[in-house]
Amino acid sequence: MSGRRSIYRADLHLHSCLSPCGSLDSSPTRIAQRAASLGLDLIALTDHNSALNCPTFARACHAHGIVPLFGLEATSTEEVHCLCLFEGVEESLELGRLLYQHLPEIPNIPEISGDQVFVDEGETIIGSVEKQLTAAASLSMDQIAAYVLDLNGLFIPAHIDRYVNSVSSQLGFLPEAPYSAVEVTKNPCPVDTRAYPVVTNSDAHYLHDIGIRFTSFEARAATFEGYAAALREGRVKPHF
Amino acid sequence: MIISELETRLGYRCVQSAYNDAPLAAGYTSDLLSDVMAHAEEGSVLVTIQAHRNAIAVASMTGIAAMVVCNSRPLPDDMMEAARDEHIAVFLTDKNQFTVSGEIYGKISTQ
Repeated sequence: MSGRRSIYRADLHLHSCLSPCGSLDSSPTRIAQRAASLGLDLIALTDHNSALNCPTFARACHAHGIVPLFGLEATSTEEVHCLCLFEGVEESLELGRLLYQHLPEIPNIPEISGDQVFVDEGETIIGSVEKQLTAAASLSMDQIAAYVLDLNGLFIPAHIDRYVNSVSSQLGFLPEAPYSAVEVTKNPCPVDTRAYPVVTNSDAHYLHDIGIRFTSFEARAATFEGYAAALREGRVKPHF
Repeated sequence: MIISELETRLGYRCVQSAYNDAPLAAGYTSDLLSDVMAHAEEGSVLVTIQAHRNAIAVASMTGIAAMVVCNSRPLPDDMMEAARDEHIAVFLTDKNQFTVSGEIYGKISTQ
């Protein structure tokens, strides 16, 4: 594709009502609405270990004129949170199925952990997920990364500077691996990010947190490929 | 106790035997390697389920001489390779961290 590059804004770490720690108000429809009103160009739905709200998210984003990516925040066996992002809904659902098979048989108790529901565009509940989604899958970070990259997705260790469920808390420091980027929450980041591209996202669990952090990127279009190319070519800038 | 006694006296299976057998002065039990980095002592044994190549790097940095991996966690090849290179002894057991810590503590504290 030819044409000039523009600067776009991406927030690629958003939780919906499918995440037990996410707000029930965070339906895919309201997330798309809120993100569009904030002027974000590219957003991704990344619930814990499940992509079951992604089909509705696709339609909601289309209705609100905002470009979606589809993903999830996987919890590896090391208990490291990893953002896995795809261009298509199918790939996110495929990774979701794999992770679900590798989650322990711990039933979710909504009264204790929170609801895990997936909904339609009208916010009617379609179903709920039985196993607790915040548990760790019996797959290593390396195994998940290989699977994601094989599906042409982006693999990004999440919030690497946080004290819980980050690569630095679980593994002491960032091991070398084929990451597409690393996600941080602070500037300056206290963790050595090596030479990986650095991005930030809101990690919003509530609608009002969407866009509190975002990454601008220079690309010909606000698309998966535009973002991926910006990562490869160092044309991303995190905003805190 | 010395490192090899983790196998001969406590029955943990040695899966990386290229190490210098030496007395164990202390132990540390944790699955968070950031915590291990901050608190483990030189010449100690690490009791953990965090079977990752970074555990070996952290052992090298802190002077941990041996590691007991609990709950029969799978051991990645790159971790075992690093352990051989760094001469860190690695043992595997189906027991959990609580039991293993108690067993090792009993042996070290009565030395």
